[in-house]
Amino acid sequence: MAQSPHFLWRVARQSGAVVSILFVLLIWTLFSALNIVPQAILPSPASVWSATVEMARNGTLALDLRASLSRAVIGFAIGTSLGVLVGLLTGRLVLMQVLLAPALTLLRPIPAIALVPLAIVWFGIGEGSKYFVISYTVFLTVWFNTHHGMQYVPDIYLRASRSLGVSRVREFLTVIIPAAAPYILAGIRLGVALAFLSLVAAELSGASSGIGYRLQEARQYIRTDRMFSLLIILGILGAVTDVIVQRIGQRLVHWQQG
Amino acid sequence: MTQQVTQGHVCIDDLSITFDVRGGSMVALEPTSLELAPGSFTALIGPSGCGKSTLMNAVAGFVPATTGRITIDGTPINGPSDKVGVIFQQYALFPWFTALDNVRFGLKRLKLSKSEEIDRARAAIAEVGLEKHAQKYPQELSGGMKQRVAIARTFAFGPQVMLMDEPFGALDAQTRLVMHDLLLGIWEKHKATVLFVTHDVDEALILTDDIQLMSSGPGRIIKHYPLTEPRPRKLNRDNIHLLETRDEIIALLHPSH
Repeated sequence: MAQSPHFLWRVARQSGAVVSILFVLLIWTLFSALNIVPQAILPSPASVWSATVEMARNGTLALDLRASLSRAVIGFAIGTSLGVLVGLLTGRLVLMQVLLAPALTLLRPIPAIALVPLAIVWFGIGEGSKYFVISYTVFLTVWFNTHHGMQYVPDIYLRASRSLGVSRVREFLTVIIPAAAPYILAGIRLGVALAFLSLVAAELSGASSGIGYRLQEARQYIRTDRMFSLLIILGILGAVTDVIVQRIGQRLVHWQQG
Repeated sequence: MTQQVTQGHVCIDDLSITFDVRGGSMVALEPTSLELAPGSFTALIGPSGCGKSTLMNAVAGFVPATTGRITIDGTPINGPSDKVGVIFQQYALFPWFTALDNVRFGLKRLKLSKSEEIDRARAAIAEVGLEKHAQKYPQELSGGMKQRVAIARTFAFGPQVMLMDEPFGALDAQTRLVMHDLLLGIWEKHKATVLFVTHDVDEALILTDDIQLMSSGPGRIIKHYPLTEPRPRKLNRDNIHLLETRDEIIALLHPSH
């Protein structure tokens, strides 16, 4: 009897997100059952579920997921490759650092959504403007982390590699990049989160499919049940990709503990 | 029995080192001259901040001379040299490489074929008694084992001069004794010129041919103790000279005692 609360506590701790999600669902269900707030403002979990099933049945869910995911993936890929590349350059070459680092730092506070009008003028309302907005956001974050990771390469690694007489190219590839890898991966992980954050902003630049577009459409019809469904899907997508990237990162940077 | 060592002749000639610090400069090493005979084993001992690591870093080519010069076999040192290997107190092994790959990294300059490189790295790992741990990563090894890998990595490419910056400073006393035997064995086999920075007087007495004592503020060499006792040495009544030297060095290092 005495160990019962302790036992429950342990189960709760080990269950990860499940207990937390059940708890929030419970509060939500109770709240909507009390009918304090109209259904149109706060839909019940059941109606959100049926809205999800409805979107899945009529095919819009698959269409939107495909559109949004391909935008996020392509924007992320462009932003990450450029971010790592430029970060490696500005991190090691003083000239590149002097020419680029201050300017890129000034761009960082500009939010993705503020770029949408410019993206439309530059790239039109097609896919190009979406890729631009997403890759811009991802690029700056991945660049920033890579650039700073390169500054923190421990001096003793460089001294060891110099005293062992390896070429500068080998030193760059097999000492500096691995030493900076934990920072680069932290940047990439942030980049994944930002790809989803800027996705919705990007789809404001005129789209005919995508989760961000569907949210806008739901607003016009005051379909809060659909909005809830889409927002939850967006959250799940972000969380799942974050876990995947984290797992891959742990494999790649296997020497980094904790 | 011992063949004459002709390479690894280190000449330090009026070397001084000044660092730029905020609002001026700081003298790390007063003009110092020191000659290391080929194949000799010299300890550089002194209180922390006396410039012993700075002197070693200059020979390694990590720190430029402010005045004076360093030559090895007549060649001036203007950066890391092919003839010089360095062992660091913090091992400086690359955690993304296995023990074997760390040693292979140090062999890249020899441009061997892949199989030759692996064979030679394996032999070096075996020489420090770690053949069973060749595929482990540094973080899976104890401190003493890490330093063995670092010793294998540095000796494997065949340096004529070996610089060791408090290499056993982070190890416990028991492990340190084992490492002393291991180091002497490897040194007697490879016959490199060793410059060994330490602040452990006993370690210097057991290992080296010469002790160069440094003082701080300003950093300079104040005394030279040649040691001729045969190795392996023990610090006991059979070696009265070593015990007397030890007392004298400790008195100079801690004048208040």
